[in-house]
Parts: sequence; structure tokens; C-alpha cells
Amino acid sequence: MDELELLKKDWNRQDTTFKKLSSEDIYPILQKKSSSIVKTLFYISIGELIFWILINVIPYFSSDSFRERLDAVYTNEYAFMGLTVFSYGVILLFIYLLFKSHKAISVTDNAKKLMESILKTRRVIKYYVLYNLVMAFISMVIGMYFAIMHDPKLTDTISHFNQKQMLVTYAILIGVTSVFVFIIWLFYKLLYGLLLKRLNKNYKELKKLEV
Amino acid sequence: MTKELEHHFVELLEKHQNIIHKVCRLYTNNYDAHNDLFQEITIQLWKAYPKFRGDSKFSTWMYRVGLNTAITLYRKSKRTINTQDFNGVEFRMKADDYDDTEEQQLKTLYKAVYELNDIEKALVFLYLEDKDYREISETMGITEVNARVKMNRIKTKLKTILNP
Repeated sequence: MDELELLKKDWNRQDTTFKKLSSEDIYPILQKKSSSIVKTLFYISIGELIFWILINVIPYFSSDSFRERLDAVYTNEYAFMGLTVFSYGVILLFIYLLFKSHKAISVTDNAKKLMESILKTRRVIKYYVLYNLVMAFISMVIGMYFAIMHDPKLTDTISHFNQKQMLVTYAILIGVTSVFVFIIWLFYKLLYGLLLKRLNKNYKELKKLEV
Repeated sequence: MTKELEHHFVELLEKHQNIIHKVCRLYTNNYDAHNDLFQEITIQLWKAYPKFRGDSKFSTWMYRVGLNTAITLYRKSKRTINTQDFNGVEFRMKADDYDDTEEQQLKTLYKAVYELNDIEKALVFLYLEDKDYREISETMGITEVNARVKMNRIKTKLKTILNP
């Protein structure tokens, strides 16, 4: 006899062994909050949005010297305005994409489609974070360049550096930036790795069936 | 959401709750985890219920949401990690109308099924629930041919475990 047929015969006998829930047991469950990964992903994406907006905004409003320096860097008012409009535009675009992809997640889709919509949402967040990291990196480089250019004391010190000292300075700068990027990368790897480990595994398994 | 909708939903759920119980039994390994997953599936069903149209059977719809929750949405809570206090067969079997060899075979079979991965379990579950390959393929989002091929592989796998 087919093994699964044997199992099937027994499978339906188990129906009587479950602890039956009455409607009084079911009502309270409906009031409970879901703890699904979609919910967690949603909170994380909201957190990301807020975090990066704050990172961009707080230094400008909280520190006068920063604002002055920024104003000095962007001597061209239009360039600064253009950049501001651009960065808010990007944030709005990401908010739109996030909500669209979150809305597309439906528990009544088939298993593969559901996994794909969740992975798509995760990709939107990934690109948002990537965009912010690249922007942070670019503004760090530009900021450093202008800081050196506009600070006579610093320019003077650097011009007296010999080649070896120059190399060491570069090495330190690159080292610090790498560690910074690595820590952020590790954080995301851990965060999404833990959250989506099972989903990724199951999605791979489904994809494997197609080859 | 209206009281009437809620009442209707609870009534249907109460009637078909065994589907959820069976999903839970397959994907969890102790009592707490079973209840935890049961709750999550119920919440997901309830959230999706306003969009449920009568064009598919409520039970068919439940299979889909139940499996999706178990395979994809459910996040194991900490207390579900404990795996040692559960033996599928002992937990389940109270009836004593099995002969020894069959019971032994079933025991091994259940154990083997528990060791399958999430996707394989889903296929076996739908198969045991007498779903045809069209429905299995639609629920999982794979082609019918692939569902068949995979199912045959699982059968072979189980056969090998049972008759080493």
C-alpha cells in the first residue's frame, strides 16, 4: 500500500482529537494584534523613513554652525533649493512606493506570489537605505572637501604633510568610513536576515521546483 | 466592521476550525506554539474576510490563508523553540484500534513528515486533505506538472524512510 494512502486513512481520524474552540473562545482572538512579518516589516519601513528624515533634518536645525557652513558651501541659492526639492521628492517617491508595495501584499494570493510581494517591499526599503547611505557618503566627502578648503588652519597643516603623513590620513579616513559602512551593513544583514530567513528559504524551495 | 459580519465569520470559523488545527499540528511541535499559530491564522482570516467573496468555498479559502500564514507570515515566538516535548503520534493517538505494525509504520511516517521542509509539508497536507493537483498548484503558485513531480519525489522519500 502507498505510504501516503496509509497516512491519509489515519489523517482524518485525528479530527476528533482537537480541542474544539467555541465561538466564545474565538471572539477574543479577533481583537488580538497580528505579529506577522508583514506587520514587523511595515514598522521597520516606517522607522527607516523617520530615521533618515531626522538624520537629514536635525543637524540643519539644531546647529547654527552647521547651517552657516552649509550656507557657505552652497553659495548658489538655486543649487541648494534644487537639492532640497530633489531630496524631499525622493522621500515622497519612496513613501509612495512603500505604501503601494505594502498594499499589494495579500494573504489570499498564492504562496509564491505572497512571498514575492513581501520580498518586493523589502527591496524598496533596501533601495531607500542604499540611497541614503550613498547620499550620506557624498555629503561627507563634499563636506570634508569644503571644510578643508574653507579652513585656513587645516589647509596650512595639510600642505605641510609629507607623502607618508598624507597616506596615513587617507588610510584613517578610508578605515573609519569602511568601519562605519560595515556596521550599518551588519545591522541590516542581521535585521532582515533574522526576519526573512524562513521566507527566503521557502521561496528558494519554490523556485527550485521550476527548474 | 459590523457585528453581523463578525458573527457570521465566527460561525464559519467554528465550523471549519479543524483545517486550522491541522495546519498548526503540521507546522508546530508543542501546545503553546499550536495555539499561537492558531491565533495568527485566525487573525489573518479575519483581516482578509471583508474581501472574501462567496465565489470560492470558505474552506478552500481557509486552506490558502492558513498555509500562507504558516509558511510565510508567521514569526515563531520564543516559546515555540522547544521541540523535545512533542511526539506527533503520541500526542495524537488515543485510539487503540491499530495493530502493532501499522501503528509502528504510522509513527515512522508522521515522524518523516515532520522532517520535511515547509513547502513539502504544504504539498503533503493538501494531498492528505484530498485536494487535486490543480488546487495544489493554485494554492502554491507552481505549475500542475511541478506539483506532481514534487509529490512523487516526496512519496519516494517517505518510502525510503519507511523501508530503508
